[in-house]
Amino acid sequence: MSWMQKLYETYENCASAKDTSLLSICHTTQKAQIEIIIDNAGNFNRARVIAKDQARTIIPCTESSGGRAGIKPEAHPLCDKLQYLAGDFAIYGGEVTKGYAKNPTEPYEKYTELLQQWCDSEFTHPKAKAVFEYVKKGNLIKDLVESKVLFLDDNKKLLKEWRGDTKQEVPEIFKVTQNSIQGDAFARWIIEIPTDPQSAVWTDESLFDSWTRFYLSTKKTSGLCLVTGVNIALSDQHPAKIRNDGDKAKLISSNDISGFTFRGRFLSAEQACGVGFEVTQKAHNALRWLINRQGYRRGDLAIVAWSTVGKKIIDPLADPYSIFNIDEMESDSEILAATTQELAIKLNKKIAGYQGEIGNTAGVVVMGLDSATPGRMAMTFYRELTDSDFLHRIEDWHKSCCWIHNYHSKEIIDKKTGKKQKIKVRLVGAPTPNDIVEAAYGSKVDDKLRKTTVMRILPCIIDGEKIPRDLVESVVRRAINRGAMEAWEWNKTLSIACALYRKYQEKENYEMALDEKRAKRDYLYGRLLALADGLEEWALRQGGENRQTNAARLMQRFADHPFTTWPTIELALLPYKARLGKKTAKIEGLISKVTAMFEPDDFISDKKLSGEFLLGYHCQREARWYEKSIDKEIISEIEEEIV
Amino acid sequence: MENKVQFKVYGKYALFTDPLTKIGGEKCSYQIPTYQALKGIMESVYWKPTIVWIIDKVRIMKSIRTQTRSAKPINYGGGNSLAIYTYLSDVEYQVQAHFEWNLNREDMVKDRNENKHFFVAKRMIERGGRRDIFLGTRECQGYVESCDFGEGEGFYDSYGELAFDLMFHGFDYPDELGENKLQARFWRPKLVNGIVEFNRPEECINKFVKLMMAAPPISIGLQEEGILEGYSQEEALQ
Repeated sequence: MSWMQKLYETYENCASAKDTSLLSICHTTQKAQIEIIIDNAGNFNRARVIAKDQARTIIPCTESSGGRAGIKPEAHPLCDKLQYLAGDFAIYGGEVTKGYAKNPTEPYEKYTELLQQWCDSEFTHPKAKAVFEYVKKGNLIKDLVESKVLFLDDNKKLLKEWRGDTKQEVPEIFKVTQNSIQGDAFARWIIEIPTDPQSAVWTDESLFDSWTRFYLSTKKTSGLCLVTGVNIALSDQHPAKIRNDGDKAKLISSNDISGFTFRGRFLSAEQACGVGFEVTQKAHNALRWLINRQGYRRGDLAIVAWSTVGKKIIDPLADPYSIFNIDEMESDSEILAATTQELAIKLNKKIAGYQGEIGNTAGVVVMGLDSATPGRMAMTFYRELTDSDFLHRIEDWHKSCCWIHNYHSKEIIDKKTGKKQKIKVRLVGAPTPNDIVEAAYGSKVDDKLRKTTVMRILPCIIDGEKIPRDLVESVVRRAINRGAMEAWEWNKTLSIACALYRKYQEKENYEMALDEKRAKRDYLYGRLLALADGLEEWALRQGGENRQTNAARLMQRFADHPFTTWPTIELALLPYKARLGKKTAKIEGLISKVTAMFEPDDFISDKKLSGEFLLGYHCQREARWYEKSIDKEIISEIEEEIV
Repeated sequence: MENKVQFKVYGKYALFTDPLTKIGGEKCSYQIPTYQALKGIMESVYWKPTIVWIIDKVRIMKSIRTQTRSAKPINYGGGNSLAIYTYLSDVEYQVQAHFEWNLNREDMVKDRNENKHFFVAKRMIERGGRRDIFLGTRECQGYVESCDFGEGEGFYDSYGELAFDLMFHGFDYPDELGENKLQARFWRPKLVNGIVEFNRPEECINKFVKLMMAAPPISIGLQEEGILEGYSQEEALQ
């Protein structure tokens, strides 16, 4: 039950998976802009600029270069920026990183020294040798200029910026490099050896292996690894770039000189803690791979759930829409859509399928990462569950926190016109944490609030904890305040509020279909409002008018003072009743029926309505859409609106 | 040897920092208390240089839950940095411990009165300890009460076995170790139906940290002149 150990195990279990994004140890990724093609004797063939979508490159690195930062960044061993690779960088006026300004050839020297060590070792590789042979010549920039990858100005220095005629096409290199500075370009190698079909250095596994073995052979410090408990070669530094390629935050770092984190008992970080080099590399690579593959990532927050054997599992933060195929989720019949039964059956099937696939031996780990400052990352959530526990919790969540939602859409292709079209789908299920946050605090919610709220919802899903009351109240309050939102947003908030309230009052076991026998005050008032709203809307539609109904406008006031507001709404219905004539008999009958169900004391009480009012409202509205006895016309009209 | 004591310790938060996360500053708690943390609690309740507390076992009473809080740790050069700490929330443990003589303190030989220490320890548990109790770190205030180990219902009573990977056990300080060095100890705990039976310190994996000299307060034990003035000899030895 140690996070490092679990990540390490995951790496070992998944290393055989042929997924290039699970990096070998001692390797990292970079975005490259230039590709240099040489032959095995180290002769320059040609070079080209790489398109942005092909830029991702796996490169070997040392510990210090893998986490490099600051004004004197360490050199990578094989592929790197031009200032390291080119012996003639300074001659052509290339600007080296600030810390090297006094001695502009230092990066090149560092790079060639490291490469030479590798080539001279017993773990050498023909491709590394070819690169070394070539860079030794020290005329990389010259070659690149001649092959029209880089461009010089009149003084034979690297052009600072492209000032060509606007009509003339800007050379590729200025488009792909950061701030259009040519000297900043990152280069990778292709070595064309006639007998070797694998010419790219970033896909050659024998080269990865060669570097890894060489690098491990250079590690001398050994000590007790706090993860495995054995004496092995320890790591000096731990990798960064965990959440994305530009991420500088580290999970393990040593911060005592400024941060005062272990002083007193220990004198150095090595005394306080040591982790085996291979262990930390593998664990970090596994984590990076998992987040990339199946994690939730938004701003600084990353949440990932995985099975230690590497099988794909249900994403705890997803809605049924993405857990299932959307077509599977559509109701088989409209009546059934209003019950949890259908969802339950489908969920059960899916989960049984997963269980069969994963087996019962594996564990599931859920991990949340966040950082308060750019350089350090904290583990803010960590749970280990058996996979059956995990699946049951997810199942519970989706069964207990679900409601009927209308805000999902899917793309279909119109058979007649062949055009893509988005149509709305009705779906039963739990809303995603992200949707809940937006329902509670609006779509423009502050990033920090979003982050903390998602982190508060996570234990409700994973641990089955009760949903925070303030969150439910916030969503309910926003759902009642109808005027503040566009119609679609309000409808979304309303169904999410219903889902949350239902989850919060789990004991009540609310049905998603209209419960005609339920005589609770809040529920009945909700039904009344829905009926008045529906009647008025119908009349407005008939009259070709497009404005908000009285019921909609007064919803907030109604929720606060139902008894005093109801007469206003009811009286305002009179002209509409007159307009519709006899057709309203059914709805009017329903209104009187609902009113009659009240306990007299409940009805005249002017107490504020609880979230149950929304359930009554939503259920009544839903019921009306499907009630066969209501005019066919209304159904088609209203459905048009939904679609 | 009748020297086993039992107590319950609980608090709103606990932070038994995982050393991996400590050196960077973003502290994250272990799921269960460390031996050293419980020993510290026991020593806050009652301690004398004569004795060494040995923790036998701990029972986890409530489900292991975590909560994160933002923190503003102090920088060495002044000012603050920002961090996120992950605490255990709402914890309760039952602990069983016993004391043994610290054989490195020859000067305290005369103080090796088992009954005396046992009864004082029990009395101190009833009174909630002599010093502040905290669960792992200073900001996590804890409270000690006497209890019978095993009483009441615990969350993990029928949970089966839960194994942990390598975990910090405690420190060997020179005054108890008898050698001039500081050692850290590690072990692999197992939670069996809510109870962790601790290894004895000698049974753990050791890591040498640094040289350290024991600097016990100078004492001549109970032989100090004038210390028993006004008491009869019999009274003092009881």
